Amino acid sequence: MEHLTHERLAALVDEVSTAEEAAHLATCDRCAAELETLREQVIALGALPELLPPKGDWRVLEARLRSEGLINDPGNFARLGLAQTPGWMKAAAAVLLFLSGAGTGVAMAQPGMPEDTGSIARQVVSVEDAASAVRMAEQQYVSAVTEYRQLLAADGGIDVDPINRFAALEHLVRVSQAAVRQAPGDPFLNGFLASAMAERDAALRMVSSGQDNWF
Amino acid sequence: MSRPHNRPELLVDSRSSGATLQELWCVEVSEMNMESSQPTERALIRLAADGDARAIRLLYERHAPRVYAVVRRIAGDEDLAQDYAQEAWIRAIRALPTFRGDSRFSTWLHRIAVNAALQALRKTETRRKREGPSPVDVAIAPAHRDSLLQKRLERALDGLPEGMRRVLILHDVEGYTHEEIGDVLGVTSGTSKSQLFKARSKMRVLLADLDGVLQEPGAEAWSI
Repeated sequence: MEHLTHERLAALVDEVSTAEEAAHLATCDRCAAELETLREQVIALGALPELLPPKGDWRVLEARLRSEGLINDPGNFARLGLAQTPGWMKAAAAVLLFLSGAGTGVAMAQPGMPEDTGSIARQVVSVEDAASAVRMAEQQYVSAVTEYRQLLAADGGIDVDPINRFAALEHLVRVSQAAVRQAPGDPFLNGFLASAMAERDAALRMVSSGQDNWF
Repeated sequence: MSRPHNRPELLVDSRSSGATLQELWCVEVSEMNMESSQPTERALIRLAADGDARAIRLLYERHAPRVYAVVRRIAGDEDLAQDYAQEAWIRAIRALPTFRGDSRFSTWLHRIAVNAALQALRKTETRRKREGPSPVDVAIAPAHRDSLLQKRLERALDGLPEGMRRVLILHDVEGYTHEEIGDVLGVTSGTSKSQLFKARSKMRVLLADLDGVLQEPGAEAWSI
């Protein structure tokens, strides 16, 4: 019998040889050695180790997951211990922070501004300082809005059209989504979008159920 | 907060109770594997399906090497492998809410990774055919090699024609049956067998060729 082909020997790693093949293998050192080598090859392939992904792989993946909305970022509010704050307050505080930041920027750009306008910014020299400043601003804002609501309620209540409010929130969500697409990894933008979506969904539920008490 | 680690079902469903992810995390991570002090996989999957970043990261850290290994070997190229692995993870996280636990999570994830890699490879092949051959179309050597044997095997795998490589990796490296390979690749089990035997034979030749190329002074000889 002629020598077995490589492909047939490769098959015999898994399959049972015919009587003729077995007889040949028993007498042919070359084919027997080749079969043994192929068996070792298969065992070695089965023992190949796992491979570590390249460095930075998680960061890239995390950014993609965020951009696709597959990660719910707890947001700055949760990190700052304000997770129980009503959604409307979070959204409002985020807007205020944005506006106050923009306002400070404009004021600082103007010549002859009062000396203490940028004092907070100058005092903030670390991440901890910045987080503390943000936390304080949020608390002040939440207190102010609460007081404002109480005064309005005492004055005869707040008159808000639920449909208009839902439409406005929907607009806010769309703008926020566009912002997140532009900077997917930005925690502030993600937190803002999450708050806006939560508030919009709450507004939708209230419109659907015919409720008009937003707070 | 202590709770028996073998609690059969979660007590809180964030989607119905309105519990925050932070609250859920506190409950879920109490489901610890007492030997390793790690959250159980089931708890992580539940949290990850709700979009919890920490749970997703833990799942990633546990399974990324296996996912990367299979897509790297199917891709035959490191840059492509990273893209394919990312795609596999995106698909898996997106599909997490549909994971019912009928099979092990690692098996489920592995199948997603294989499908993602094969699908992406088909797209890449189609694009290459449309654009013509690349001037430098050489597979990039893997970065993580801890032995000469592994180095030779990985190099030889990269040198196999793509069709053969897929079948060889799925069968000899990943342990798929020919029927499973047929399902994944859309071929008959007979074709899978035929491709496997050709691939083993070709691999044998490539390894023999590499003996001369990769033999390093003082290194033990590899007999394959």
